[in-house]
Amino acid sequence: MKRSVEPPEIADRLALRAAERARSRIGLPAWAGRPGTRGRVWLLSALCLVLTGVLFAATWSGIARARQGLDVIGSGEGPKVVATADLYFALSDMDAQMANVLLMGADHWLGDGRAAALVRYEQRRSDASEALLHAAQLAEGDRTEEQNVRAVMEGMNRYEHLVAQAQLISDEAGRPAGSPPEEVVRLYREAGELMRRDLLPKAYNLTLDSGATVRSTYQENSSASSVGIALVAAAATALLASLVALQLFLRRRFRRRYNLPLAVATAGVLVLGLAAIGMLEQQASYLRSAKVDGLDSVLSLSRARAISTGMNADQSRWLMDPGRAVTYEQNFLEDARMVVLLVPEGSDPPGDLEGYTAEVAEAAPDHTAYDGRMLGLLGGEIRSGGVEGREEVQRRALRDYSAFLSADQRMRSLAEDGRIAAAVDAHMSGEESADDYFDRYERSLVQLTALHINTFDTAVAEARAGLRGWDAAVLGACLGFAALVVLGVRPRLAEYR
Amino acid sequence: MGLRRLAPAVAAAVLLFAVGACTDAVGRSASIVDAARLRIGVKDDQPGLGMRADDGAIKGFDVDVALYIAGELGLTPEDVEFVGVTSEERERALVSGEVDLVLATYSITQLRKTVVTFGGPYYVAHQDILVSAGDTSITGVADLEGRRLCQGAGSNSASRVIEERGIDAVSVERPTYSDCIGLLAEGEVDAVSTDDLILAGYLENRPSAFHLVNAPFTNEKYGVGVAKDDIAGCEEVNRAITRMYQDGTAAWLLRKWFGDSGLDINTSVPQFEGCG
Repeated sequence: MKRSVEPPEIADRLALRAAERARSRIGLPAWAGRPGTRGRVWLLSALCLVLTGVLFAATWSGIARARQGLDVIGSGEGPKVVATADLYFALSDMDAQMANVLLMGADHWLGDGRAAALVRYEQRRSDASEALLHAAQLAEGDRTEEQNVRAVMEGMNRYEHLVAQAQLISDEAGRPAGSPPEEVVRLYREAGELMRRDLLPKAYNLTLDSGATVRSTYQENSSASSVGIALVAAAATALLASLVALQLFLRRRFRRRYNLPLAVATAGVLVLGLAAIGMLEQQASYLRSAKVDGLDSVLSLSRARAISTGMNADQSRWLMDPGRAVTYEQNFLEDARMVVLLVPEGSDPPGDLEGYTAEVAEAAPDHTAYDGRMLGLLGGEIRSGGVEGREEVQRRALRDYSAFLSADQRMRSLAEDGRIAAAVDAHMSGEESADDYFDRYERSLVQLTALHINTFDTAVAEARAGLRGWDAAVLGACLGFAALVVLGVRPRLAEYR
Repeated sequence: MGLRRLAPAVAAAVLLFAVGACTDAVGRSASIVDAARLRIGVKDDQPGLGMRADDGAIKGFDVDVALYIAGELGLTPEDVEFVGVTSEERERALVSGEVDLVLATYSITQLRKTVVTFGGPYYVAHQDILVSAGDTSITGVADLEGRRLCQGAGSNSASRVIEERGIDAVSVERPTYSDCIGLLAEGEVDAVSTDDLILAGYLENRPSAFHLVNAPFTNEKYGVGVAKDDIAGCEEVNRAITRMYQDGTAAWLLRKWFGDSGLDINTSVPQFEGCG
């Protein structure tokens, strides 16, 4: 293209005249196709203003989306999901406490004592009601889930009715520990079956489904947020390009070295764009940490705790009901494998409880030295990283789990030798009992869960802090850019008056 | 002209950003939730669960459950194609994408969960014992001591009795469980021990010849195999199974296929394994 050598005013005048002639021939309105410098300045300025609006809209909606995701996961569904995770634990612990009460019979001082077990039973019952309330709120609008919540409520009533009867008969009989009357065994077996076959599965599925709700919310949110970040980047790039174009155009046509307001606006857009992208990416990473390192781990560990509680109850059932001991032992092993599954390198996982206990004992002291894979609800949570001290707690949880399993083996071998009273003691009396090891293991689990809840809370709080002030900043900055563009081109346009 | 020279650069930058952002969204693999047709792997030699009839169609409990799930995914029976798979084939068929779902007496184990995702279980079967009608000497797994116990090739049901429980039974192996049932009918073996649903399927065919002991001693969680990364699909399968139990279809199907076997059927929804 030939370069114009005349001063802008003369070139413009010539061009204008030519354009007017053309326009009058084809009857176009006065503003259309005006090719002059003035028209170009107008056009480029308008483009800059429109793109400033686009940048504002993109950033604003990106922030709104981040805040929405944070609200849903941080204070809406997330905490409720954690609350429903407690439902399974509360129900299974209710059952474990009742099994203890019935196994004690008239020996009220065994273990922590009958009174303590009953207090804990009541506590868990109220926890369960509370968790059901949260579950009902989460299920709202989903007919399948609502029906599920109702079924759990009804099942709880039936369970309580059965154990109340069993307790009454047990009290009247006044038998010593380990030899409850047949009627008590029958009633408790029915209650236990109801709990295990009906209530707990439904409670567990309820938790899984609210976990699924969070997962899909998170998934949608994170896809939308990547698109949002790209939109901000695109809008900022486009605005930068048009500001530079305007700058270059003015420089060429008006022979100025640079236009200060436009230069400031350009720098401002660059800073805002980079900061907004950085902030939105940081938000996405906070949310990811809240979900993956917080919520997911809390859910896994809550499930591990719930299933471990069931294992503890199966020990009582195994002692109390020799007719079904085989099934209870199998349940115990299967639950154990859900908590920690060890897959030795090059061979199959051990098939029986004794082999499994030995395998865990081998891996527990130092899991990093274990030659094989560690899976399962707790096993999968044993990983490096996270807040300081977490690995230490993980290690302790694993060691305590192993000690619990070893105590379980001692109890079982006593019972198999026919020393039932000694086995009941090994199950629930004193410092070396399986129950005592279970309590220690459970405390480690709860502590590890607390660390992940902490991670969740911290990530949510940091994300909230990171969003603070952004609404005003974006609005102010974009208004400022618009003002700077106007300020930059106004004197140039004034030359035409 | 500054603008003209910049325009392609701007367009390229916009495109670059858009592409960068979108790979995340479109890079996900297809889910069964959006499928217009489904290929479902089922057994075709297992009476009651999945058995090829004379007209070539596969029928059974697993097939009916698969059709219910497909229905909940918004598909008609015409949209579903059933593919016969054996126990050895089913995992590979699912991983390679040859089938979209597997319902083939596919027990959920922690090890298999490292390769595929499991919806369900839609039923928890238990290892049980089948004996000749009139044989009352076997009432539980402990009574298998010294008895001849038949297992199908590739199965570990006898070793679960002999090795894991230390019960000194004599293991007899035949290519399939159908052959074992034949041996039991002839009195060549004393018992056949495998999943109760499988035993109940054989029993339905010849109710007067055999007797199911009803002494369950393991849990076999029959899962719906879903592609490893299709979490949304797995969750939808779980929702479908929940509804199947809520609306009574599950109870009806269990009675339809195993009602006459004397099997102790559990008609409440099993505890799901979890998708993630």
